Amino acid sequence: MHDRLHNAFSALRAEEDLKSKTLDAVARRAGRQRARRRRMRALACAAACLLLVLGLGGGLFFTPVSAISLDINPSVMLTVNRFDRVIGIEGYNDGGRELARSTPVLFADYSQALTALLASAAVQDCLERGEALSIFVACDDEQRSQEILANVESCAGGGRNVHCQSGGWAEGSAAREAGLSCGKYRAFLELQALDPDATPEDVQGLTMREIREKIAALSGEPAPTPGQGHGKGHGAHHGGQGCS
Amino acid sequence: MRSEQETARAIELHADTVRRLCLIHLKNQADSEDVFQNVFLKYALSSAVFENEEHEKAWFIRVTINACRDLLRSFFRSRTVPLDDLIDLPAQAPPDTREVLDAVLALPEKYRDPVYLHYYEGYTAPDIGRILHKNANTVYSLLARAKKLLRESLGGDGDA
Repeated sequence: MHDRLHNAFSALRAEEDLKSKTLDAVARRAGRQRARRRRMRALACAAACLLLVLGLGGGLFFTPVSAISLDINPSVMLTVNRFDRVIGIEGYNDGGRELARSTPVLFADYSQALTALLASAAVQDCLERGEALSIFVACDDEQRSQEILANVESCAGGGRNVHCQSGGWAEGSAAREAGLSCGKYRAFLELQALDPDATPEDVQGLTMREIREKIAALSGEPAPTPGQGHGKGHGAHHGGQGCS
Repeated sequence: MRSEQETARAIELHADTVRRLCLIHLKNQADSEDVFQNVFLKYALSSAVFENEEHEKAWFIRVTINACRDLLRSFFRSRTVPLDDLIDLPAQAPPDTREVLDAVLALPEKYRDPVYLHYYEGYTAPDIGRILHKNANTVYSLLARAKKLLRESLGGDGDA
């Protein structure tokens, strides 16, 4: 039976025609598969590049390079990216939080954001009461800092009670750690130099005018007239430039 | 992926084995040719590395049997086998060959692979067990039962 089975199976052969048809079909289908795989690889590469670009772009977009703090009684701070877009707004007291909530400035150009904030009823009421408005620009790039400061001064309109100053990014970070906006933090540093017991909490609830009055009282100098700058920014040209 | 030359070499070397396995599983000419082509396409696209020709041959046997089973299990095929396209066994084959092949094809499917692999390819029961992923004892049993059935249909002296 073994031989009979072996001989019977031997009679079954793959026809030459089938072999050549198969070789053609395999070459054709394998070529298509290869092309599809190449396309898939190209697509995967393109997707990876796109993700990389989006990731880098997103990373750049959401990286803050400067901060603008606005202190009057509401105290808010805007963080701004390299494209001059506001990527964050934070209130540092109840008034500031309410102002941040009621003024939609996220992703707006910082000049427009600042104009909107200054035009808000809360800020206008304070200005009418004669409160001092302090705007502080924190940025490590001196040229950008100057540009922003010039724009900020233009937005603020140079009122008598408006102080515009600039400083380094580190100062902005230190201010955030102390729970104060940049403008208020700088005023706090001046106060602390005269009164080492002063704490950020002591100035948190005070208006800028009240802090200035405290500083004047401790230093024995007359209270600064509105519109006089107090900045100690990086560089003579850079710091302490009053708007009015 | 393999070159066309590699595929051509594999076809020359393994076409008969693949064809025989297709014939003992599939009764339809078109299905048989489809599986035949698919097996070599799979080889062309595969990056499997073979230690030697025997290893490669075992791969072809395994892949062909799986492809035949997949086709037989497929929902559509189970309902759409055309009856007018049945495989013709070699027309010029001697009467004895046709009788033996008919007897093999009449066996339940589970016996056909062990019979072919043992009586034609010369594999031992443990080898067949490895290729078909079956226990060697199971293969011994399958071969014994298949031999009994073939003896009943073909007669003979039981020399297998």
